[in-house]
Amino acid sequence: MMDKKTILEKGLLEQYILGELSLEKRHQVEQILRADSKLRDVFDALERDLERLGMDNAISPPPAVKNNLLDKIKSSRSKTAQIDSQTNRTNFKFYFGIAASLAALLLVSSFWMYSELSKLKGEVQSIETENVNLNGTVEDLKGKLTQNTELYAAITHPDTKQYILEGNALMPEGKIISYVNRSTKSVVINTERLPKLDEAHDYQMWADVEGEMINMGVIDKTQPLIAMNYIDHSESLNVTIEPAGGNDHPTVERLVTNVILR
Amino acid sequence: MDEQSSIFGKFLTLMENDTALIEQLKKGDERALSGLYDKYSAAIYSVILKMIKDEGKAQDILQETFLTVWEKAEQYDSSKGRFYTWVFRIARNKTLNILRKNEPLIQSDDLSVYKNKEDAIRIDPKFLELNGAITQLELHHRQAIELVYFRGLTHREAHQEMDVPLGTFKSYVRQALKQLRASYAKAMNVLLLILYVL
Repeated sequence: MMDKKTILEKGLLEQYILGELSLEKRHQVEQILRADSKLRDVFDALERDLERLGMDNAISPPPAVKNNLLDKIKSSRSKTAQIDSQTNRTNFKFYFGIAASLAALLLVSSFWMYSELSKLKGEVQSIETENVNLNGTVEDLKGKLTQNTELYAAITHPDTKQYILEGNALMPEGKIISYVNRSTKSVVINTERLPKLDEAHDYQMWADVEGEMINMGVIDKTQPLIAMNYIDHSESLNVTIEPAGGNDHPTVERLVTNVILR
Repeated sequence: MDEQSSIFGKFLTLMENDTALIEQLKKGDERALSGLYDKYSAAIYSVILKMIKDEGKAQDILQETFLTVWEKAEQYDSSKGRFYTWVFRIARNKTLNILRKNEPLIQSDDLSVYKNKEDAIRIDPKFLELNGAITQLELHHRQAIELVYFRGLTHREAHQEMDVPLGTFKSYVRQALKQLRASYAKAMNVLLLILYVL
């Protein structure tokens, strides 16, 4: 244990001032110095003596040392400031980089979304068009179905009678199947076997009522099963070749087929 | 009269209060460092020179010492000792570190780091001379102070160097300091006498 006597005898104050003591001993000396004011006085006097000794032997260093020292301090200061500003600049760069990246990302994604939107708009439009087309087709099919259903109903009606119009010398290969129903007043013909005509001509059907030929309608070349106009009291069905669109009177010379209705 | 005014100047230096300058130093005031450097650098430079015996190196160490003073000013605690003592210790440690770094093989038990520097003297011999009150001491007292104060030896190293027992060496140091004190007191009396005459 260290006490005042030991400190003085061992010359610990001198060694303390000179910086020879270990950290542990230094702390012990400091502790005792704080507690003992007389020892502190001895210490203070000793410090002064040694400082005086130093001053007695002072040797002025060259002025360059001081100048270098002050320069070094200034440059280290400005370096610190530079580092600070560099750090700031780096921070700025860093955040600017992030902002720029985000902006670029936003821009790219906007373009992508815009192009996606345009694509979708186009798709919607084509789907709409398709839808319209399909609706049209459905309407067509509905119409056709109705027509076919009606034609089928007419053909299969119990009172319907079938008459075959065989082609004459002008149309040896062709024939028409007709279905006549006097109770429902309908005439339906099957034109599958009619030879094709040129653009300038159409087949036209006529009913013979007491020697007079009455127009039953132009035969639609595109449909295989067609309903014709029913004419009361007709005695026979006759088909002639007429100029396209039909004629007011039948061209008898071009009668291709006929059948007597019983 | 020259001697008297120089004594007066030294007296003022010792009495002058560094507190304000040191406070400024701790706040990072370069002018405070400049002032403290002007006051203490010569005494510190002398100690470094006598230890390392190389003017160029001594100047580098002096600069490093005051750079440390500047950077570590916060750590100086005036309740634990005088500012000069603090700077002295920094300088002494720096110089010893350089000496030990240059002579790694000399790190034997006796730590006589200074021994091998003798043959590599790059210094004006006058810088190694001692001045002032110490010159009036008896040779062995003077030598004891010189070894621990100006050569950087520990008491343990120094007593081996002087080839006397450690206890004897310590009493040399104590006696030497007592005589120095007496000498300074005499100078102080002269000073007071001058002041009285004036």
